[in-house]
Amino acid sequence: MDAEAQESFREFVANRSSALLKTAVLLSGGDRHAGEDLLQNALIKAAGRWHRIDEPEAYVRQVLYRQQVSRWRLKWPRRELTVAELPETGTAPDASGAAELRLVMRGALARLTARQRTVLVLRYFEDLPEGEVARILGCSVGTVRSATHRSLARLRALAPELAALGPAAAEQRPARDYSPVEVRQ
Amino acid sequence: MNVDELVRDALRDQADGQPPAAPGFADRVLAVRLRRRSRRLATAAVAAVAVVAVVVAVPVLDSGKQDVRPSGGVEQTGITAHPDQSPPRDLIAAGRVALAAYYTTRNVEQSADRAVSERTYWLVNPGTKKYVKDDRWSYVAVAPGLRTAAVLERELPVPRIGLLDLASGQVKRWIPVDRPVAGVEFSADGRKLVATAYSKNPDRRVKIDGSQGWDAPFMESDRTGFHVIDVASGSSSWAGVELGGGAHNPDAFLNSRQDFGFTHDGRLAWSGMATEPGKKFYDFTGKEVPAPALERYRDWFVDAGVSPDGQLVAGQFAGRKWKTSSFVLDARTGKQREVRGQQLLAWADGNSLVAWDIGQDGNEYHQRLVLVTIGGEKTTPLSDFRSPKDNTKGRWEPVFAER
Repeated sequence: MDAEAQESFREFVANRSSALLKTAVLLSGGDRHAGEDLLQNALIKAAGRWHRIDEPEAYVRQVLYRQQVSRWRLKWPRRELTVAELPETGTAPDASGAAELRLVMRGALARLTARQRTVLVLRYFEDLPEGEVARILGCSVGTVRSATHRSLARLRALAPELAALGPAAAEQRPARDYSPVEVRQ
Repeated sequence: MNVDELVRDALRDQADGQPPAAPGFADRVLAVRLRRRSRRLATAAVAAVAVVAVVVAVPVLDSGKQDVRPSGGVEQTGITAHPDQSPPRDLIAAGRVALAAYYTTRNVEQSADRAVSERTYWLVNPGTKKYVKDDRWSYVAVAPGLRTAAVLERELPVPRIGLLDLASGQVKRWIPVDRPVAGVEFSADGRKLVATAYSKNPDRRVKIDGSQGWDAPFMESDRTGFHVIDVASGSSSWAGVELGGGAHNPDAFLNSRQDFGFTHDGRLAWSGMATEPGKKFYDFTGKEVPAPALERYRDWFVDAGVSPDGQLVAGQFAGRKWKTSSFVLDARTGKQREVRGQQLLAWADGNSLVAWDIGQDGNEYHQRLVLVTIGGEKTTPLSDFRSPKDNTKGRWEPVFAER
């Protein structure tokens, strides 16, 4: 990496790292340190091929998502956030308890598997259509659909407080494909 | 509430609560990369002891000195990009500016030989950070802060200006003007409005001999002057501006819509013209005055205008160093530099701009919003590509405001 490339890389990181870190922390179930590690590894990959990347942001995001769901990442020490118990919510939250519900949801999201969480982050935080999620993760649309369906079901199982919530559109469709999430390397 | 809505809320809430990345994050990444590479090389070259001794020495990066960071640091220059959205659904922002609204245009035929080019706006809701269609308005300017917009009703020119609360979609106040207006712009501090008065609709379209579609009337202007309005009190002053040699003088003709704007410091009004010298400056009584020192090189058709600190001016298409690029000029000397971007739209900070730029298909009309940096090679996409076809829903025009 020559001086010009380094300067351009620094500029990109200065401009984009805060936004990328948000995604990385969400993918890591709210663990800031794990999110920083995830982003750091993605940026190291990007730095290695900086001259060949036209759109660094798209590249880094793709690496983030795939890194998170790929099996080889298991070779690195896992820093999954372990939550022994969900946050105390007192009585069942009502309409005014939106903040508590969000906390309950946050705790439940942290307890999903990395794959389940990644699919939800892509669908509901990045607001990507199923086809785009499938392209990024290198799997079929059916796999994305079933993974979304199962992830939402798992959230409900983890947090009974969510029982009163209406079903998501993804839950109203039959999920046909129950194969595991495949990942292309 | 559905479970997916709560997932969305919880994720956004958690993301919004994240402090920005620490300064020097890039240095940290580069240092770790160097260490890992050094280890790999060291393993490979284990037999060549002398070489290993050199390679494993990890240089200490001089953190900060070469760190190219836009002024204000990471936090203030946050970028909210949606490279998959065109037209955008969710707020797009970079540094100090946000895409406050966008509009599409279509020609609405009124008779066999007359039409009006009408805009349809989508305005940002500062609460949900989403763009919402609001087809009540023929013209919209958004005030700094993204809370209020100045709106003009349909059937231009109109006798009143509305102050629209963007969160509720309600007009909070109407400001009447004694000469009807068709264009409006906020000063940089949001305290004043300049409203351009016309005696006829400047967006009317006609059939010109030899042309297939609708065209703006050529060498016809019905502009009469401008009002400067104090937003807080609603009081206004009027400045009548002669057309300069008459509406049909080929040496001084104006486009049918040629609105007035404020200079960077908000002390003068100015407007472009289709002929040399390309622009004229006026005090608030309508008297023509010399160009201020820092605005001499400004072009009225380059939306980005003067940089936040007033030292640079966004210029026209350059296309020398890259296939698509634009000039940025020193406001005092006019000295040019080139920056990526086909068309410069707004300053994100003292060093970066939001621009339209083309993609790999090379189609000059197929553009997306990008962030470009002076002295930088890379562009950061902020939106998806807009349609190259005029007067379609896919071809949207941005309206920027300071956030």
